[in-house]
Amino acid sequence: MLEQLGLLLVFVKSSALAVGGLASLPLLRADLVPQYVTDAGIVQALAIGRLAPGPNGLYIVSLGYIVAGWTGALYALIGATLAPLAILPATSLARRWLLSGWFGGLVRGVSLGTAGLLLATGATIVHAGGTQLWQLALVAVTVIATVQGRLHPAVMIVVGAAVGLALGR
Amino acid sequence: MMKAPPSSRALARAWFDIGTQSVGGGTSTLFMIRRVVVERMGWISLREFTESWALSQLSPGIHLVALAGLLGRQIAGVRGIAVAVTAMMLPAALITAVVTAFFGEIAQHPLTIAALAGIGPVAGGMTIGLALTMARPVLQRGRYAILDLAVIVAAFALLLTSTAQTIVVIVIAGAFGAILLGRERPTSSDAPMS
Repeated sequence: MLEQLGLLLVFVKSSALAVGGLASLPLLRADLVPQYVTDAGIVQALAIGRLAPGPNGLYIVSLGYIVAGWTGALYALIGATLAPLAILPATSLARRWLLSGWFGGLVRGVSLGTAGLLLATGATIVHAGGTQLWQLALVAVTVIATVQGRLHPAVMIVVGAAVGLALGR
Repeated sequence: MMKAPPSSRALARAWFDIGTQSVGGGTSTLFMIRRVVVERMGWISLREFTESWALSQLSPGIHLVALAGLLGRQIAGVRGIAVAVTAMMLPAALITAVVTAFFGEIAQHPLTIAALAGIGPVAGGMTIGLALTMARPVLQRGRYAILDLAVIVAAFALLLTSTAQTIVVIVIAGAFGAILLGRERPTSSDAPMS
């Protein structure tokens, strides 16, 4: 029971302290790897999150399922849904605060810190997935394609899978 | 004159479409929301949509959920929030979990393992690319850019080289930002939809 509650808290916390869908990843990884899931499980959840419909922050539901089946998926969904809705009372009660300079600075600080954490998490995922030359080339191409934003993420996952099938055996 | 709010059924239908027909998330979901609630249904004006989008960028967690909540409230109050968020998230989450369950069945197959050897670098590359995308506006901030870059580099180094808790890094970055980075606030002109 206590463990269940702890797991729910992990998912709520990761969404409540992150600004943006994928920004919860460093927090989740810190709490779940390696006790509950491996980096391979994280890769799987990220890929499914990109291939399945809906916001890509829904990778968290896939991760929840990998960690604890349907219960985990439910906890992840609860965390991912409740945390962003905090903006609703905030816009009613404290709109002036939200538009103040210091609050904008706080969000910017968290976003920048998260960018650094995501960079480190991305590097860890790359390292855990293998560092053969063709894999590093794939990393480079994906980074460029993501920054440019023209290629659909699902296409990138499919290309990665195809390259893996051709070269990864 | 206020228009009568749409029925729950019409609302649910629209947000179900948004949740299930936008593969890949992010910008594709955002475009889908705009197309449905602004252009197709006319429930929200473009100006209201852009303002809600700017506010949603300040929310914790998935911004699109915050956006659905804000737009739902404008369209039909508390009922609008409940229907918009549930209809967008629940079916998409269900599909995500079912795909994960199916994937679990084939995860140990040699072909799956080979495919994952290629998917891993792509997932890592996307994460790095997204981090760069989040950091990119920094480069346009003149002499203050050094402060912004310092936060990114410090967070990166702390996570990779020390046992610092992720949560501590985020809290410090937030406090640093509130004190030193608060000169400008995000504007709706940053909206990725122009």
